[in-house]
Amino acid sequence: MTALQSLTQRPWIWSFLATALVWFTTVLMTGTGGALGLSHAAFTFAAFSVIVGTGQMFVITLGPGNIDLSIPATMTLAGTVALKLMAVDNGMVAAGLLAALGVGLAVGVANYTLIKLLRIPPIIATLSMSFIVQSIAIWTNRGLRIKPPQLLAEFTTSSTFGVPNTALVALAVTVVAWLLLERAVYGRWITAIGQSLEAARMAGVPVEGARFVTYVLCAVLAAFAGYLLASFSGGAALNMGAEYLLMSIAVVVIGGTSVAGGESNVPGIWGASLFMFLVVSMLNTYGFSAGVRMIMTGFIIISVIMLAGGWRANAR
Amino acid sequence: MKFHRMLTSSAAALCVAMPVSTLADTSDKSIALSNNYAGNSWRQAMLESWDKVTGAAVEEGVVAAADAFTTAENQATEQAAQIQNMILQGYDAIVLNAASPTGLNGAVREACDAGIIVVSFDGIVTEECAWRIAVDFHEMGRSQIEYLADRMSDGGTLLEIRGLAGVFVDDEISGGIHAGVEEYPEFEIAGSVHGDWAQDVSQRAVAGILPSLPEIDAVVTQGGDGYGAAQAFAASGRDMPVIVMGNRHDELTWWKEQKDANGYETMSVSIAPGVSTLAFWVAQQILDGEDVPKDLVVPFLRIDQDNLEENLANTQEGGVANVEYTLEDAKAVIAEAKD
Repeated sequence: MTALQSLTQRPWIWSFLATALVWFTTVLMTGTGGALGLSHAAFTFAAFSVIVGTGQMFVITLGPGNIDLSIPATMTLAGTVALKLMAVDNGMVAAGLLAALGVGLAVGVANYTLIKLLRIPPIIATLSMSFIVQSIAIWTNRGLRIKPPQLLAEFTTSSTFGVPNTALVALAVTVVAWLLLERAVYGRWITAIGQSLEAARMAGVPVEGARFVTYVLCAVLAAFAGYLLASFSGGAALNMGAEYLLMSIAVVVIGGTSVAGGESNVPGIWGASLFMFLVVSMLNTYGFSAGVRMIMTGFIIISVIMLAGGWRANAR
Repeated sequence: MKFHRMLTSSAAALCVAMPVSTLADTSDKSIALSNNYAGNSWRQAMLESWDKVTGAAVEEGVVAAADAFTTAENQATEQAAQIQNMILQGYDAIVLNAASPTGLNGAVREACDAGIIVVSFDGIVTEECAWRIAVDFHEMGRSQIEYLADRMSDGGTLLEIRGLAGVFVDDEISGGIHAGVEEYPEFEIAGSVHGDWAQDVSQRAVAGILPSLPEIDAVVTQGGDGYGAAQAFAASGRDMPVIVMGNRHDELTWWKEQKDANGYETMSVSIAPGVSTLAFWVAQQILDGEDVPKDLVVPFLRIDQDNLEENLANTQEGGVANVEYTLEDAKAVIAEAKD
């Protein structure tokens, strides 16, 4: 097998190819002067999708029916609670982070409790949980925007060696996620569960424990992304997570993770997140109207998924 | 019941004769607020203003009750069901911020047929039996270009930040902006993005399109997007253009900082969330037997360079610049519509 062949057999390659194509098309319009600015912006904003997408990927890997729809509400609540607690005080940055992660932990546990104890399908359980969480977010601060502490605002909006700090943080998250999936027994467990629940159970995989950890992990990552996003954009807003519901699912699917579960793909999340940002930039740059832009976005996403899926069908 | 009605109508007749003491007369009436969405700071301020003003009105005995209800999902079907419940509960008037201009017409018609006064505001309904307190969004867009034309006699290159695609308000404001550009052809719109009226979405969209744009002289906006645009421009290292703001506290704070640091000049325009209280008083006036035209227009809340500090001081930290309306304001708006 040649190197090229082995490369095309990676399901994540398609999202990166699509990203490169869209990047070149946009740079054709912006000229090489804009290339650096475009890439920098892409990495900055892709970071948030990468973090929530990673959490969603773990959940989707669990197999059919598993999905977390409470991500936007969790982001909003975590951002709101953390910024309110920090109250623009640089000394409270760590406490704010802990509070945000605590929110994630609580939502994750609550999600799993609904799914397991009340036997509600995940799609309904996490959706209803998102109403509760969103209402708590409204109640916590009535939609008032509190500024992040100076230190945190500076960290999230600046770069180290030309790479946006948010992207570095997201990179660290994905490296840990990759290690968990590929090198830890937990990753084997959730992959096994996704491929066949019954077989996994008979093989002695602690199915419920693994599911519990996965839902908690997803909510914690969403909370972390909410904390970063609120710090980055100058305060938490009640609708700040809205974009990330479809985004979290889209980056997982475009990134080459199987929607049916049992097969996940960490590098693809990066390709897909960059792609999702660049597609919008490209269509904006070419000045398409909103309607055309939405149709094109849908069309492009379908094409990428078909290409990635086509590879899989041929390989089997 | 009949006696009761006679009492009210005779009281109403009495009030026409003596316009000084119009207060007591709606004291047995109850008004409901049907609201389709509460998920942003503007809507939260709207609900708070409602509570504040109607709470005082109930205490003073102007009306018997003024309850606020918000639907969870921002959907017309859900709100139609909510209105039907309000009909059954026997409210005398429904003040409505609608999820759709046409989707609720059936339910609104039912309410009218049941003898209930329906006053829609902000998100208005087209059903003829309802009153509409509309915002002239078209003019809100056009006035931005007019302001810029006044500032920059040679014109310039603009970036337009739009709202949520497919929503009536977005089309109206954008239409006004484009009409303004036709009126002042020295301006050119170099690019347009959708910021969904949210700072973080605007920041992302602007950051994505900036590399492809020539130098931008001004940014025209719809509210809730100015601060995000400023952040994106700052990150790109470009010269800061004139960004029209939308009365949010973070926008005004940023403007104030820039004004103090380098004399930055702009203006800010939006609708005060307290418009809900205007709708409340209009409903009260209609219940009171006042002859009110079906279409009313709300004034904008505009902030300029010289009254920035005053408005900033009056704006709640993290909220939106707001005005709560009084009965006199409502009467003035009604009188203006009659002319």
